[in-house]
Amino acid sequence: MTTTILQLSHLILSFTILVASLNHPGLVDATPDDDSYWLLRIKSEFIDPLGALDTWLQETSMCTWNGITCGDDKKHIISLNLSNSGLNGAISQHFSKLTFLETLDLSLNSLSGPIPPDIGNLGNLKELRLFSNSINGTVPPQIALLRQLEVLRIGDNLLTGEALQNIGALSELRVLGLAYCNFNGSIPKEIGNLKKLMFLDLQQNSFDGEIPEEISGCSELRSFAASNNRFERRIPTTIGLLSSLQILNLANNSLSGAIPPELSHLSNLKYLNLQGNKLGGEIPVELNGLDQLEILDLSRNNLSGNISLLNSNLKNLEVLALSENLFTTIPPNLCLKNSNLHHLFLADNNISGGFPEHILNCSSLHQLDLSGNSISGALPPSLDSLQSLTDLLLNNNSFTGEIPPQIGNMTNLNSLFLFGNMITGGIPLEIGKLQQLTTLYLYDNQMSGPIPRQLTNCSSLADLDFFGNRFSGSIPPTIGKLKNLVNLLLRQNELSGNIPSSLGYCRKLQRLVLADNMLSGSIPPTFGFLSELFLITLYNNSLSGPIPESLHHLKNLSIVNFSHNRLSGSIAPFSGSNSLTKLDLTNNSFSESIPTTLSTNLIRLRLAHNSLTGGIPLHFSQLKQLQLLDLSFNNLTGELDTDLSSLTSLEHFLLSNNRLSGPIPTWLGRITELGELDLSSNSFTANIPPEIGNCSKLLKLSLRSNMLSGPIPPEIGNLYLLNVLNLQRNNLSGGIPPTIQQCRKLYELRLSENSLSGPIPLEIGTLGELQVVLDLSFNQLSDKIPSSLGNLMKLERLNLSSNKLEGEIPPSLGKLSSLHRLNLSNNHLRGQLLSNFAGFPSNSFLNNDGLCGPPLISCSELSLKARKRLPESQIVGIIVAIVFTSTLICLSLMYTMARIWWNWRKVAISCSEKGGFEQKKEGEDWVYGEEIAKSSDHHFWNSNSMALVPSQSKQVSDSDTARIFQFKWSSAAAKK
Amino acid sequence: MALRIPLHLFLLIVPIYANLEGDALYALRRAVNDPENVLQSWDPTLVDPCTWFHVTCDAQNRVTRLDLGNAKLSGKLVPELGKLERLQYLELYMNKLMGPIPAEVGRLRSLVSLDLYNNNLTGSIPPSLSNLSNLKFLRLNGNRLSGRIPRELTKLGNLKILDVSNNDLCGTIPTSGSFSKLTEESFMNNSRLEGPELMGFVKYDVGGC
Repeated sequence: MTTTILQLSHLILSFTILVASLNHPGLVDATPDDDSYWLLRIKSEFIDPLGALDTWLQETSMCTWNGITCGDDKKHIISLNLSNSGLNGAISQHFSKLTFLETLDLSLNSLSGPIPPDIGNLGNLKELRLFSNSINGTVPPQIALLRQLEVLRIGDNLLTGEALQNIGALSELRVLGLAYCNFNGSIPKEIGNLKKLMFLDLQQNSFDGEIPEEISGCSELRSFAASNNRFERRIPTTIGLLSSLQILNLANNSLSGAIPPELSHLSNLKYLNLQGNKLGGEIPVELNGLDQLEILDLSRNNLSGNISLLNSNLKNLEVLALSENLFTTIPPNLCLKNSNLHHLFLADNNISGGFPEHILNCSSLHQLDLSGNSISGALPPSLDSLQSLTDLLLNNNSFTGEIPPQIGNMTNLNSLFLFGNMITGGIPLEIGKLQQLTTLYLYDNQMSGPIPRQLTNCSSLADLDFFGNRFSGSIPPTIGKLKNLVNLLLRQNELSGNIPSSLGYCRKLQRLVLADNMLSGSIPPTFGFLSELFLITLYNNSLSGPIPESLHHLKNLSIVNFSHNRLSGSIAPFSGSNSLTKLDLTNNSFSESIPTTLSTNLIRLRLAHNSLTGGIPLHFSQLKQLQLLDLSFNNLTGELDTDLSSLTSLEHFLLSNNRLSGPIPTWLGRITELGELDLSSNSFTANIPPEIGNCSKLLKLSLRSNMLSGPIPPEIGNLYLLNVLNLQRNNLSGGIPPTIQQCRKLYELRLSENSLSGPIPLEIGTLGELQVVLDLSFNQLSDKIPSSLGNLMKLERLNLSSNKLEGEIPPSLGKLSSLHRLNLSNNHLRGQLLSNFAGFPSNSFLNNDGLCGPPLISCSELSLKARKRLPESQIVGIIVAIVFTSTLICLSLMYTMARIWWNWRKVAISCSEKGGFEQKKEGEDWVYGEEIAKSSDHHFWNSNSMALVPSQSKQVSDSDTARIFQFKWSSAAAKK
Repeated sequence: MALRIPLHLFLLIVPIYANLEGDALYALRRAVNDPENVLQSWDPTLVDPCTWFHVTCDAQNRVTRLDLGNAKLSGKLVPELGKLERLQYLELYMNKLMGPIPAEVGRLRSLVSLDLYNNNLTGSIPPSLSNLSNLKFLRLNGNRLSGRIPRELTKLGNLKILDVSNNDLCGTIPTSGSFSKLTEESFMNNSRLEGPELMGFVKYDVGGC
C-alpha cells in the first residue's frame, strides 16, 4: 500500500517537475513577498539527511514542494507538514514570515534549539505540532498571541519552564499536549477558559500545586491525563462536572485526601487511574455508578476498609487494580456469574482470613493476584472454577495445607506463584495436565515428597523454582522432556540420588541450581550439551568423581559454584569458557595443578581446601579483573612471581596453609585495592617488605606462622584502616614500631611468639578500638608495662606473658573494665596487685619476681619470703637479736614461722612446674580468667594456710558453706 | 515416641538461612547512606556475605562480627539485623545513624557486644535487649535515646559494661541484678534521669517520664 503511494507520488513529482521546467525555462524570481523566498531560507537552515526537502527548488513552483499546501493565491502557503522527515537542526526564525500558515507540523524529527519567539506572528495558526523532537528552552510567551490555535502539541521535547502560565488566552484550544517534557509550575485557574478543550495531556512533567477547581470549565474535556507529576492536595470535586470525560489519569502524583464521590457523575468514564498517590479513606460506594468503567486502577495508595466495589454494577469493568493499599476484606459479591472482570489485582494489602471463595464467581478472570496478604488456610479445591485463569499469584501469604489436585483442571494456566507460604504435602500428579504452564514458583514453602515424574509432562515449563522446601527422592529421570526449561532452581531441598543425565537434554537451560541437597554420584557428561548454560551451582551436595571433560564446551558459562562436595581430579574442564567470571570449587578433593588457561574475565576464583599442587600459574597475571583469589589450604609450592603483580584489581588475596616459600614480594604494595591479605602458615622468609604500607585499604593482614625475620616495618602504620594484624609465630626482631598507633581501627593485634625486644611502645595505648585481643606474649619485651594500656577501654583480652617486663603493674591497668582475660605471667613484675585484679586467677600473674596480693599470696607473706632470701648469717644475727630482746615469746613464734615456711616451699615448687608446662601452648590457649575455675589439678591451692587461699577459692568455700547450710536447712525441713 | 513428635514439629519450622544473613545485611546497606562506599563490596548475589568487607564469619559461614564503627554511615537500622543468629559483635558506633534501635536486635542470642554509641539514635531502649543472655558490653552512650531504662535489662547476667550516658533517658535507674555492679558513670548526662530507684518506697513507674 505505502509503496504504491510512494511510487505514485514519485510519478506525480517527476511529472510536475517536467511541467514546471516546461513553463519556466528560466529561474523563478522569488521575492520576500513570496513564501517560497522564506521557505528556501528555512530549507538552508535545516539539516536534511533523508532529502525530505529535495523537491524544494527555486526553479519549481512552491505549491508542488513536499509537505506544502498553498493558499488560493499560490504565493502563500497555508499548511506545512514535515512530520517524521528525519530533519535536524534548529527551527528557523523565518517561519514567522509564513503569516498565512494555518497548520505547522514539524513533529517526530530531531530538531533542537528553542521555539523561535517570533512564532507569535503566525496569527492564523490553528495547529502547531512540534512534538517528539529535542527542542529545548522555554515556551515563548508570544505563543499566547496565537488566538486561533486549536491544536498545540509540543510534548516529548526537552522544554522547561512554566508552560501553562498564559494558556487561558488560547480559548480555541481543542487539543493541548505537553507530556514528556520538564515543565513545571501549576495549572492556572484560567484553564477553565478553554471551553472547547477535549484532550489535555500533561503527563511526565514536574507540574505541581493543586489541580484547580476551575478545571470544570473545560466542559468538553474527554481525556485528562496528568500522571507522573507533582500535583498535590485533594482531587477537586468539580472534576465530577466534566460529564464528557472518558479518560482520567492522575496516577503517580502526591494527591491526598479521599477519592471524591462526585467522580461517580462521570457517566462516560471508561478509564480511571489514580494509582501511586496518597489517597486515603475508603473507596466511595458511589463509584459503583460508573457503569461505563472498563479500567479502574487505585493501587499504591493508602486506601483502607472494605472494598465496596460490586461488579454487579460495574458491568463493563475488565481491570480492577487495588494492590498496595490497606484493604482488609474483599466484598462477597464482587463478581456476578456474567462478570467481565479479566484482571483482579489485590496484592500487598491487609487481607486476612481464609481464601476468599466468592472470588471463584469471577469466572471470566484471566489474572488474579492476591500476593502479599495474610490469607491463611488451604487453597480451595474449587479453584478450578476459574477456568480462564492464565496467571494465579498467591505468593507471600500464610496458606497451609496441600495444593489441591484440581489445579490440574486449570489448563489455561501460564504462571502459578505459590512461593512464600506454608504449603505442605506433595506436588499433585495432576499438575502434568498443565500444558500451558511456563512458570511454577513453589519456593519458600514446606512441601515434601518426591518431584513427580508427571511434572515433566508440562512441556511449556520454562521457569521452575522449588528452593527452600523439603522435596526428597531423586530428580525425575524424565526431566529431559522439558525442552523449554530455562531456569531450574531446586536449591535447599532434600533431593538425593544421582543427577539424571537427561537433564543435559534441556538445551535451553541457562540457570541450573541444585545446591544444598543430598545429591550424590558424578556430574553427568551430558551437561556438555547445555550450551546456553550461564549459571550452575551444585554446592553442598555429596557429588564425587571428576568434572566431565565435556564441560569444556560450555562457552557461555559465567558463574560456577561446586564447593563443598567430594569432586576430584583436574579442574581443567573449566578452562573452556572465557565467559567465566566466578568459579568456586572450595572444599573438594581436586588435585593436579591449576590449569594455565582459565578465563581472563574471572572476578572471583576460590579453590581453597583442595589438594592442588604446583605453583600459582603465571598466566594469572592476565586476570586483570580478579578481585578475589582464595587458594588457601592446598599443597601449592613455589614463590610469588613478579608476573602476579599485574593482578591490580585484587581485593582478597588468600594463600594461607600452603607450602609457598621465598620472600613476601614488594610488589604487593602496588595492589592498592587489597582489603584482605592472608599469607599465614606458609614458609615465607626474609623481611616484611615496607611497601606493604602502601596497601592503604587493608582491613585484615595475617602473616602468621611463617619464617619471617627482621623488624616490623614502621610503614605498617600507614595501614590506617587495618582491623586485624596478625604477625604471630615468626622470627621478627627489633622493637614494636610506635607508628602502629596510626592503625586506629585495630581491634585485634597479635605479635606473639617472635623475638621482639625493647619496651612496649606507650603509643599502643592510643589504639582505643582494640577489642578482641592484644597479644604480645612470648617475646623479649622489656622495661615497664606502659600505663597508657589502661586507656584500652574496649580490650577484652590482654596477654603480655613470657616477656622480660619489669617494675610494677601500672594502676591504670586496673581500669580496663572490659578485660576478662589477662595474662602477665612469666615476667619480672613486682609489687602489690591492685584490688581490681583479685577477680583474675593467680595463673594470670604467676612466675614474676615479686607480685603479691590477691589472687597471689599476701604481701606480708611475700616479705617473709624476701627475708628468707637474706644470707644465713644475717638471719642468725636477727635470731640472736630476737633471743637477746625477748626469749620466751620468741621461741613460740619461731615454731609457728617454721611451719608456715614449710608450707610455702611446697607451693612454690609446684607453682613453677605448673607454670612451665601450662604456658607453652598454641597461640590462643594462654591462661585466661574465666576458664580457670573449670580447670582442675590445682593441687598447689590445697594448702591449709589461710593466707594462700585465693579469692576465687574463697568464693568456692563460701558456696560450700552455703551448700552445707542449705543441706542443713533442707535436712532440718525434712525432719519437720 | 511421645518425645519425637514435638521434635518433628520443630524440624518443620526450622528457618531457612540460605542467604538470609546476606539478605539481612543487604537490607542494612539499602537503608543507610554510605558516602565513603565502605559497603561497596556487599554483593547480594554471592552465596554468603563472608567475603564482604567489614563482615566476619565463623567456620560455618555464619556472620559473627559486623565492624562498621566510624564509617560515616547515616540512615536507619533495619529490623532484619535480628536475623544474624550467630552475631557476637555489632559494632556500629560513631556514625550518624538515626531512628530507633529495632526491637529485633533482641533476637541476637549470641551477641556479646552491642556498640551503638555516638550516633543519633532516638526512641527508647527496646526491652527485648534483655533476651541477649550472652551480652557483656552494651554501649548506647551519646545518642538521643529517650524513655525509661527497661527494668528487664537487670536480667542480663553477663553484663559487664553498660553505658547509656549522654542520652535523654528519664525515670529511675534500676538497681537490682546486673545493675547492682554499675556505677553512676554509666548513666551520666541524662538530664531527666531521676537517680536510682528507691526500692520499697516509690513505685518504679512514677515521675514525669
